[in-house]
Amino acid sequence: MKRGLWFAIGVMLLGVPLAAQGKPLTVTGIRGVTFGAILPGVPRVVLRTDPANSGQLDIKGPKGNVLLSFVLPLTMTGPNGALMPLTFGSGDAGYSATQAIGSQVGFDPKQSFTAALPNNGRASVFIGATANAATNQRAGAYTGTIILNVTILP
Amino acid sequence: MRSITKLSLVVAALVLTGTALQAQSNNAAITATANVQTPINVLGAQQLSFGNVFPGVNKTVNATDLTNGGRFDVSGQASTPVSLSFTLPATLSAGGGATMPIVSYAGVHALLATQVGGVAFSPAVGATTPLSGTGALFVWVGAQVQPATNQAAGVYTGSITMTVIY
Repeated sequence: MKRGLWFAIGVMLLGVPLAAQGKPLTVTGIRGVTFGAILPGVPRVVLRTDPANSGQLDIKGPKGNVLLSFVLPLTMTGPNGALMPLTFGSGDAGYSATQAIGSQVGFDPKQSFTAALPNNGRASVFIGATANAATNQRAGAYTGTIILNVTILP
Repeated sequence: MRSITKLSLVVAALVLTGTALQAQSNNAAITATANVQTPINVLGAQQLSFGNVFPGVNKTVNATDLTNGGRFDVSGQASTPVSLSFTLPATLSAGGGATMPIVSYAGVHALLATQVGGVAFSPAVGATTPLSGTGALFVWVGAQVQPATNQAAGVYTGSITMTVIY
């Protein structure tokens, strides 16, 4: 009898957190940040509200709070290892619980940000940046990787 | 023995609970991309030269004249369209304030310095054309000077400016 009680307690303890887990958390890169053609010495800004050129990542998971944090590159890498500085302003990231680019809450991509996933568990994060081509920037294609980490908060 | 069993159950439950309570996280990456263009460089490669002209006798240098036509050499991003625009003087000037009309500007742009495959255009209107696969473009300008019958003798000059933008 007592053994059964202990077993029941164990199952209950297990059951609560497992139930809280709900839907799995997925993060999907939808669109990269596209600066297009830029000229040496001329900075190019892509706003997070730019529907064609801003970066977008979609989040799917259980309703509730999540912690967003970026891993941001300092530079983009081009031909023969040439580097081009990439900067992110304090309002260059945006969170949208409706996944609409026109309805974002701005945040600093260099800082962690707590957001609430809505009832449907879907949200989007948008990001802009500034490419700072030097006056003697080597011509060619440059790329850099932006990573968004999402963590479900208890 | 029973105590050990109870303890085991509690420990197992706590361990499993702890595992489940660990924050679930995930991530994804996107790429930032940019294409740095080769800056445009424009060189005034050859002057538009009318040589000797005589009062009352108009003289024309055609844009197709590889010897006397003015020539600009352009370099930039390969195969990229550029637009050409010009500032064209209406007169040439000599010392002492004498002027001589310069009219009827004509232009040719080509991807080769030999002018093979060249396209005629009006410098007054400008033109849009791509640079070559090596990022080159050659532009020639011709015009006509109209010295008056009483044109003062001397050397007359004027500046033709070409602006090139992507």
